[in-house]
Parts: sequence; structure tokens; C-alpha cells
Amino acid sequence: MHTTLLSVLNSLQQVIFEVTNAETGEVQRIAGNSQWAFDLFPQLHQQDTIIIDDHTPFLQDFLIDAQQVWQGNNNNTLKSGFWTEVTENKKELHLEATAIRHNETNILLITSLAEEFKSKQNTLQSARELLLSNDRLIEQNEYLHTRLLSILKKPEQQGDILIALTKAIENAGFSVIITDNSLQTLIENSSTYSLFEQRRQALDHDEKPIDIILNLMKAQLPEFDRIMSTKSGWDGELCWISPPSTLKWLKIALYPVKTELNEVNNWIIFTNDITSIKHLVQKNEQLALQDMLTELPNRFSFWQKLEQQTTDNKPFYLLYIDINNFRSHNEYYGHDDGDKLLIELSERISGTLNNNDYLARVGGDEFAIILSDIENQHDCQTRLNKILACTHKPFISTKDEPFTISVSVGAANYPKDANSVEELMKFVDLSAYSGKAHNKNSIQFYSQSLQDASLHIIELEKELRDAIKYQEFELYLQPIINLEQNSIHKAEALIRWNHPEKGTISPIQFIPEAEKSELINAIGHWVIKSACALVKQLNSHGYRIKISINLSPSQVIEENLFSFIHNCIKEYNIEPDLLEFEVTEGVLVNDYAIAEKLLSKIRAIGMSVSVDDFGTGYSSLAYLKKLPLDFVKIDQSFVKDIVVDDNDKAIVRAVIAMAHNLNLGVTAEGVETDEQLKFLKNNACNSVQGFLYSRPVNFESFLKLIKEFY
Amino acid sequence: MIQKKICLLGASSVGKTSLVKQFVEGIFNEKYLTSIGVKVDKKVVNVAQQAVQLMLWDIEGYDRYNVFQDKYLRGAAAYIIVVDQTRSTSLIEGLEIHSLAQKANNVPAILAINKSDLQANWHLEDSKTIQYQTLFNAHFNTSAKNGSNVEEMFQAIAALTLQEQ
Repeated sequence: MHTTLLSVLNSLQQVIFEVTNAETGEVQRIAGNSQWAFDLFPQLHQQDTIIIDDHTPFLQDFLIDAQQVWQGNNNNTLKSGFWTEVTENKKELHLEATAIRHNETNILLITSLAEEFKSKQNTLQSARELLLSNDRLIEQNEYLHTRLLSILKKPEQQGDILIALTKAIENAGFSVIITDNSLQTLIENSSTYSLFEQRRQALDHDEKPIDIILNLMKAQLPEFDRIMSTKSGWDGELCWISPPSTLKWLKIALYPVKTELNEVNNWIIFTNDITSIKHLVQKNEQLALQDMLTELPNRFSFWQKLEQQTTDNKPFYLLYIDINNFRSHNEYYGHDDGDKLLIELSERISGTLNNNDYLARVGGDEFAIILSDIENQHDCQTRLNKILACTHKPFISTKDEPFTISVSVGAANYPKDANSVEELMKFVDLSAYSGKAHNKNSIQFYSQSLQDASLHIIELEKELRDAIKYQEFELYLQPIINLEQNSIHKAEALIRWNHPEKGTISPIQFIPEAEKSELINAIGHWVIKSACALVKQLNSHGYRIKISINLSPSQVIEENLFSFIHNCIKEYNIEPDLLEFEVTEGVLVNDYAIAEKLLSKIRAIGMSVSVDDFGTGYSSLAYLKKLPLDFVKIDQSFVKDIVVDDNDKAIVRAVIAMAHNLNLGVTAEGVETDEQLKFLKNNACNSVQGFLYSRPVNFESFLKLIKEFY
Repeated sequence: MIQKKICLLGASSVGKTSLVKQFVEGIFNEKYLTSIGVKVDKKVVNVAQQAVQLMLWDIEGYDRYNVFQDKYLRGAAAYIIVVDQTRSTSLIEGLEIHSLAQKANNVPAILAINKSDLQANWHLEDSKTIQYQTLFNAHFNTSAKNGSNVEEMFQAIAALTLQEQ
């Protein structure tokens, strides 16, 4: 029996020691006589009792943790994890120790795990080489993308730009193509020729690299039409097969280079040959189907699943979840935090799903869900609400800053909305994209009207672009009265669109639409510039009146906003304290860290900041206390019934008291009657704004108003 | 003889094992072979005519497959954060590990900016790099491949551990 046990132990590559003195590390070999044990502890040749000392420092250190097990009252075990020892005869041993307490006996088990070590090393070797390749790709792409953008956006002569671009791209280790707005190649680097197996002087019948890429995208990417029509960027993997011998996996990134009017001037296309990475992945089946970061099924696996679902012909809902402004988030917090967010979000979403549901990561910041066993849209909406709810809780950055995100969800039903996987994907992608307005959480179910609406947005965007080009916008001013001095000390700037056919259009009718496109920033710039011009004009008439400008959520996260404001102030040579910026509570809460940075800079150069529509959003008093603010504007909905509604009276009194305690001024909006004014005066409100004094008026009328007022 | 435990920490594939191998055996292997678990090497150095045995704990790189374990820092007299100058993410990860390590064991730390034989790919402003370097007791631009600054770095860490005594 003893001999059999011994040979089992030896074949398991184990040696067993009984711990005779846990404090000193004295142990006695009780079984196992593999050669490696003698190589590891040469003293065993003389005696079975040995002391674990600094000849094996890792094991000696493990004994400290092991003591907890051995000195405990219960049966317990603890493993050390892998470690490697080199013996005196230069042999490498891969070992693991286990501390065991069983029926008051203390055991130290040492196992040689050569095979397990090799197998783990092989798996991790592939996985880490993959991580490394991905890291390198991302780093190189991002750096070059930023560099090319800075060159392309410089107002230089075209000739100089081409020289600068050529220099920048020539040594890139991957293909770079820069095209004009109609995707005709302007320049491409040498790697492009080698990747696409072409001669520099292409023959007429050779297919151009750009055409190869576009044809691949059209064939393999259901989102292609939407990407082109909305001028969006895209990155992902495509397979290029060109008989007889070409099969390459390409990682393609397509970036639009836009003007301030959201018109595409150029496209930048990066192509990396990732065939070898793919082979590495294919060596490990799990990695081939799994997203490395979130460990969810990847896009490839998702397509397989989707095709299987449609083949089975069972109804289901397909959801497409897109994180709003993920790119800005990544730029602000860094890529590690971006990765952390993706992992946490994927875990939160997984937690809301049923066993039969299927979640995959299908793009950089995009997830897809297949919801089976759903009867109708109402049930799907209920499930979606649950999914959305899990995204509400703040996320924490690595620097312990809390932040919130919003997502756009597109949903479509199989087979009701589409009966092919490509169409389904196209529809959910369009639905999610349509819901991206306002950077808020949104759910859009696919419908024909949605497709019509997206066409409408494209048309409106063109009209808005023309409006900027042809000076159809005008700034109106609404006076803000300082109650203590009874003077117009400030005016809110409000944009109007003098449409050549439709007449004057109020911002409510077009700003929300503009926010769906990047044009909102161009409009925002126009407003800031025009407001500076008005301050200057008021100065020239002898008035020192501050102009207050609304900042939209997208403007707050716009990278260069502060330098734009700063340049405008210098250009118009105005005093910064004659400008104020208004932000809504939502902006402060959703993008707290970014808003805080911007507003601090704004205040540092003398401009002031107010919180608009106070009380209508999810206000957090903590934010008010921490953020760099000067004024709170009480929303007109509270002022409206201030004379008759005791609740509104109490709210307004409380807001005024709280603001004053925080050293903030208070402006009441929507003041229309003398009674309202009286109440506000009696409660120490600092200033008021509303029809009682004036509607928003154009500049000439505003000048008249000032004269009349005085 | 005085013994000092030194831990080599950092993201995976930055060259921790190669630095130890270069220092202890004077060898560099071009082929990247990922480390698993821990390996302890020893080498005696002389600091101000005093022999010090360095116990070099080469710890598997941290990434999504292997999380930071502060237990390995127990008893360490100093540690080296190794980063790869061709990969800026390794610097960010290195700084994160540094802050975790400081919480676990507040001992001297050296920043090894490894792979100096290759072209740097950090695109960091000099001021930022200097700012990072100030978080450490010393920093070295090392190359495990050609041995540049490897000996100097281990000598420096040995000296640091004696200063701390």
C-alpha cells in the first residue's frame, strides 16, 4: 500500500512535508521522493527534517501566510501560486506550495507543475502578444490621427499641406490614405502599396487601394450607408479575399476631417494588416470569439449568433447600445478609464439580462443584445428600461472622480422590422444613431418614420449650414434688471433664425436638431463671437452691460472652447467681465469634471457663470457648493405661480436663501407681473428677467429700451 | 552578508525578466517569453565596500490576466517599476502600480524606462516626463538588450536600500 501511494505521489510530482515547527519553518518529509525534491532541497539527501530558509526565499515568504492556516482551529488550505526555482544544476523547477491543516495536522505539500506551467505560459503568451499588438496599433493610429488632423486643419497653402502630410505618413508602419471629400485619393504612403500588393505606378486595370477598402466596407458593413450619409468615423476589422492567393485580415479606421460647418473636407483611412494577430487569436478558440477587454462575445461571434437566430426563425428583439460621447470621455479621462468604463458597463448590463439573452461587444463603444422570449414592443420596452436603469448610477474614474454616462439604444424586431441580419443591423444602428440627440439616454424603436426623420435631419443640417454661411442668424437680447439699483446690468443673448422662406424661427425649433449634429458647435461659436461684437457696440454707445450666453452640453465638452472664447475677447478687445456663460444643471451633473475645469478657467479670466433653469433638473446641492459659479437662475416654472402657490413661494424663498448662503446671486426668470416682482423684491432676489420688462429684442430695440429705462 | 529584497514590478512585456537576466547572467534573449508567477534571482553587489546580496523578485507583469498582489512586496527593501518607452500605456500602468505599491510598502522606488535601444514612442512633453520621474527616488533609461544603465540601476537601488537603514 505504502509503495503504491508513493508511486502515485511521485507521478503527481508531489512531496509531502509535515510541519514540525511553523515558527522556524522546520518541516519533515513524510512522503514523495521525486528527484526534483532532492535538487530543490539537497539537505534531504542527509535527513528528512529540514528548515525552509532563504535558499528558497519565495517559499520562506509563503510560510508567513501559511502560518495563518496552520495556527487556525479549522481544517483549511492555502495555495502559494506558481513560482520558479533554479537548482544548483541549473534546472528550472516550476512549483506550487499548498499549506494544509487537516485534523490538527499541519502539512506542506509541494508540487512540481512543469506541464501546467507550460500550458499556462502558452495561453498567456498568445494573449499577451495579442494585447501588445493591439496596444501598439491603437497607440500608433491615435498619434498619427491627431497629427494629421492638426496638419489638415491648419490654414496653410495646399502645397505645404501635402508636403507636411507626406512627411507625416511616409514612415508609418501601416497604410495611410488621405482623400478629398468624395473619397478620391490625394496621397497614400508606401505601406499602402505593399499592403495592397500594388506597384507605385498602378496600371489602369489595377484596383486602387481606396476602392478595395470601400468595396470591402460596402460588402461587409451594414452600417456603411449610415456612416457615409452622416459623415461618421468607423473602425473595425474586415476580411480581404482576392483570389488566387490573398486572404488578409485588415483593421480599418476611417476618420472624417470636418470643417466647422460640419462639412467633410477630407477622409483619413488607416489600414493595418492584422492577419498575424488573427492567426494568434485563432490558435486559441476562446480568444477568437471573445472580446479581449470585456470577455463578452465579440462582433464575429455576434454575427454567428444572429445568423443562427434567423435560421431558427424564432422572433426576437435586437438592441444596439451606443455610449454617447465615448470619444470625448476617452480624451478627457484617458484610455485606461475608457476601458474600465466598458468593462463595468458590460458587467452592469449583463446583470440585468436573463439566461436566454445574449450580449456582445460589437464595436469600440457599442454593445448588441438579442432578447429572446419577448412577446411585444411593450415587453421589450420594460426590459430596456431595466437595462437603462443600470447605467444611471455614477461610474468612478481611476482618480476617484464620479461621472455619469448616457447611452443611445436602437431596437428592431425580427421578423417584423426586417428578416435579414444585415437589414436588422442597419435598422438598429440607424435607430441608435437617431436617438443620440442631447447626449441623453434614449430608446428608439425602428420605424419607417424614423428613417424619414433621419432624412429630415440631413436636410435641416444643410439649411443650418447655409444659415451660418449667409448670415441668417441674429442675436436678440433680453434685459436682466438689477433690483437693488433698478438698472439693466445684464442681457441674455438669444439666437433667432431669420429664415429666407419660413420667417423668424425660435431656437426651440432648431437648436435641439442642431445638437444632433456637430453643427451645434459652429452655431455656438457664432453666438459667442456675435455676443462679443454686441458688447463692443454697447461700449461704443457708452453702456457697460454684461451679455450672458447659453452653453449647450456639447459645447461644454468641446475641446477648444476656452481658447476660442479667449481669442474672441482679444479680437474684440472687450473686458472679460462683460461676458457671462449660462449652463444647465444637467451639464453640471453629467459632465461634472469637464464642466468644472472649463468654468474655473472662464472665471479665472474674469467672466462669470450662472446655472440656468435652476430647479428643473436633478439638482445636487453638493455640485452647487463645489462648482465655480456666480449666479443661479430660478426657472420660470417656479416664478409663474409664485403669487398664488404656497409651494412655489417656499421653493423660491429656499433657493434664494441657499444661494445667498453660498455667496451666489439669484436671477428670477419669466417675471411677468408686478405681484411677482414685489414678491421677489421682498425676498431679496437680486435680479429679474421677463416680459414685465421686455421680450428678447433685436439690438436696435435693445438700445432704445436702455434709453427709455434711464 | 546583508540581504535585500527588491521587487521588479510593471505591466506585462516591459522587460522585467530581461533586466534581471542581463544583470545576473549578462544575457539577453530576443524572443519574448511571458513570465508566470514569481522567480527569485540573487546577485551580490558592493556598495561603499559593503557586500549586499540582492534578492531580485521578478514578478509576473500586471495586466487583465494577472492583478496586482501586494503580498509580494512584503519585506521588500525597495522596488523597481519597469516601463517600456515604446508603449505609453506601460507608463500609465506603471504609475498605477507605483501608487498601489506605495500604499502596500512605502519603500524607495526606481523608475526603469526600458528598451532605450529602441525608438521612443511616447510622444510625451518633457515637462510631463519630468513630472513622472519626480515620483521616484531615481530613474534610469535602461536597455536590457545592450545592458545600458542596467548595472548602474541595480547599484543605485542597492545604495538606496542602505541609505534607508
